[in-house]
Amino acid sequence: MIANLVFLVLAGGLPYYLLLERRRGMHPKYIFALSALLLLGAVVLSLELPNTHAPMMVLIAFVNAIFTLYRAAKTTNFYKLGYYLIFLNAPFFILFEEQGAIYSVSMLVSLTGIFLIGRFYEKHYGSANYHYITGVTLATPSIATLLTLYLVALALYPPLPNALFFLSHILNAEPNLLWYAVVITLFVGNFVLAMRVMTKTLFGQPNPNIHYVHLSSGETMPHVAVLIALLALSIIGFQEVIL
Amino acid sequence: MYLRSRFFKAGCGVERCMEKFVLLIPMIPILIALILGFVKNKEFIPKVSIGLSGLIALLALYGTYFVMSRDTAIEGFGGLVIYNELSAILVPYVAILGLVIRKYAAKYLWDEAGYQRFFILLNFIFSAIYLLVMSNNLIVLALAWQLMSISLYMLVSFNVGSKTAVSNARWTLIIHKGADLVFLFAVILTYKTFGSFDLGVLSAEWLEMSHSPVENPMIFVIGLLYLIAAMMKSAIMPFHIWLPYTSEAPTPVSALMHAGVVNVGGILLNKMAYLLLLTPAVLNIAFVVGLVTAIFASLVMLVVSDIKRSLGYSTVGQMGYMIMEVGLGAFSLAIYHLMVHGIFKATLFLESGGLVRLARHESNLPKRLSYELFWEEKLKSSSSKLFNYIAFFTILPVVAFIGIKLVLGEEFFHFNASIVILAFAWLTGTQLFLSFFKVSKSESLKVILALVSSFIVILFTYEFIGLSLEHFIYGKDAVLFYEAATLNVTLAMSLAVIAVIMIVGWLFMYKQHFVDIPGERVPISHSKWLFYKLLVKEGYYFEILRLFRKEKR
Repeated sequence: MIANLVFLVLAGGLPYYLLLERRRGMHPKYIFALSALLLLGAVVLSLELPNTHAPMMVLIAFVNAIFTLYRAAKTTNFYKLGYYLIFLNAPFFILFEEQGAIYSVSMLVSLTGIFLIGRFYEKHYGSANYHYITGVTLATPSIATLLTLYLVALALYPPLPNALFFLSHILNAEPNLLWYAVVITLFVGNFVLAMRVMTKTLFGQPNPNIHYVHLSSGETMPHVAVLIALLALSIIGFQEVIL
Repeated sequence: MYLRSRFFKAGCGVERCMEKFVLLIPMIPILIALILGFVKNKEFIPKVSIGLSGLIALLALYGTYFVMSRDTAIEGFGGLVIYNELSAILVPYVAILGLVIRKYAAKYLWDEAGYQRFFILLNFIFSAIYLLVMSNNLIVLALAWQLMSISLYMLVSFNVGSKTAVSNARWTLIIHKGADLVFLFAVILTYKTFGSFDLGVLSAEWLEMSHSPVENPMIFVIGLLYLIAAMMKSAIMPFHIWLPYTSEAPTPVSALMHAGVVNVGGILLNKMAYLLLLTPAVLNIAFVVGLVTAIFASLVMLVVSDIKRSLGYSTVGQMGYMIMEVGLGAFSLAIYHLMVHGIFKATLFLESGGLVRLARHESNLPKRLSYELFWEEKLKSSSSKLFNYIAFFTILPVVAFIGIKLVLGEEFFHFNASIVILAFAWLTGTQLFLSFFKVSKSESLKVILALVSSFIVILFTYEFIGLSLEHFIYGKDAVLFYEAATLNVTLAMSLAVIAVIMIVGWLFMYKQHFVDIPGERVPISHSKWLFYKLLVKEGYYFEILRLFRKEKR
């Protein structure tokens, strides 16, 4: 029971971000980083401890996911979006037990990319808020390409790994009503959030009041590492889903 | 090593297994996209794209030759991918269409921002289409299905700077994502019910099951889910709204969409043909939905004010026709239809720019060969002899042909529901025929001969080409599809329906081609006005959506 609760908290099954957001000095960047680290901890723990959960735990995480989806649909901040996505996907980790762990790893890699983009925006445009940074596709194609890849991965489109692990796990599961609710919510929720970012920042005309900046070579290297990780995970994902 | 062992059978060297390279077709566009990412010189982008795409076309043609000459499919990657009869027809078609579109786009988009991005995205969608056609595994099919959705969205919203383009592309995204979800559930339920993802294994099992009554209601649900997914991708009502509103996409994208992408529903249903054998109810639903879509969309096409939306609805109508053919068990006919429609519609889109350019320099309609053939001939007064020759030489031999066939082969009218296809084919043919020749109310015999001749021409075309495709793709199993799809319509009823359609069509042609002196102004009846309004408002689709949004506020 205690182990279940630990997993529930670590994986983001409870919306502890509500408490953290109210704390002074708790920048969304730190909440993002903390949530990601806790989820990673849950993944590591799941290798050692049995990760089986009662349906009640899944239900709690599912309700939390719905609430988080509602909050995430209103945000235009990359950091906030990052940790909202962690909490949104918590039911998947809890429902799919060991298999959910690798999906979470894949999601964390994609979110690392989002984190880097958020940091880039914060450094060059003042904050990680993308609301007024429109037309990135036309202004800075390299950033747009990277952001598109991360968003497409988060939106569960193949051949990127999130979709492959998602597909692999749902094909091998025994569906029940709660299972269907979780799968549909995650499938639609991830898609809605990711595509929302795409239409708001990637598309449209560039904002004439903003001086758009291209990626420097130093800033490109972490993204290359993320892309290599995504490629490796895609290969693993293909093997998992086909075999 | 892993890929090599799955790709080649043991002991199969490169020289002996050349045909296996055909199976690499879905991956080649991805490689092209990666290469294009590193090409800096703008002039090389179309050259690289067209050159390497030409390789795909050659491979596809070689694969088709191999399948036809050896009468065997090419399988590889552990049975995940197959180049069978269906692939042999569709992959060369898509490959050649891709070459034409790339060639067109090379100049058309030269001055547009995102020239390189366009060619990269184009390769992703072609990869998805090839993979979808060649997949022999439901998981691979699901991956291709979803890859196509995102690739199409990125292409349709290519003009990222335009608010309306991005806003309208959202419909494409939402409906295609819905199709992805429905398809995934169908795949999950298929695996749970039949225990396999392999389409070859599943098709054999379904064929075996078709010999005895099917009592599992889950099979109907699975069939219905596949049908709904196909309807969403192929813009069948009520999921049609995404297609007419993608007019701001670049012309090459419109050509690809109307000629290639929108056909995936028909391709999916062909892959699931043996499953649909077990679900006659689903086939009947497909027939009704297809029929309603074909009629309604074709009517809306006539009244919308926007030419591109009109073309969009034209395609929706043709897709309805295609689904209707599937609903009647004529799966191969649907393939033939989608190919012919695709070529026709792509030509229309790709020609439109040139036509506009010519019109700007000409005081009258631009004179082109198609104009001279299809319009000027119509206005000549002395076309009656040629008309009579054609009417005579089509009707007479075919009357003899039908007579012989009726005596020797009763199966010609065995599948009564198929006669409904012929009726609609006749409607199409009549329009084509009458665009060549001018006939009027005063030339009753000519009108009758024109209608009957056009019917016979279409009958021949569908009979020979449709049957050839049917025998090639499905062999003897094709008969089973017609039996499953039959609407239990008697021969007398179907002939009566045909007669009604012909009489209504005849009256319509008379009214259309007779120019009367306008007499007293007759007020339009209220019911006609309401019907017209329904069409102009495209079925009040957006009004209903706005109603939901208002309630939400």
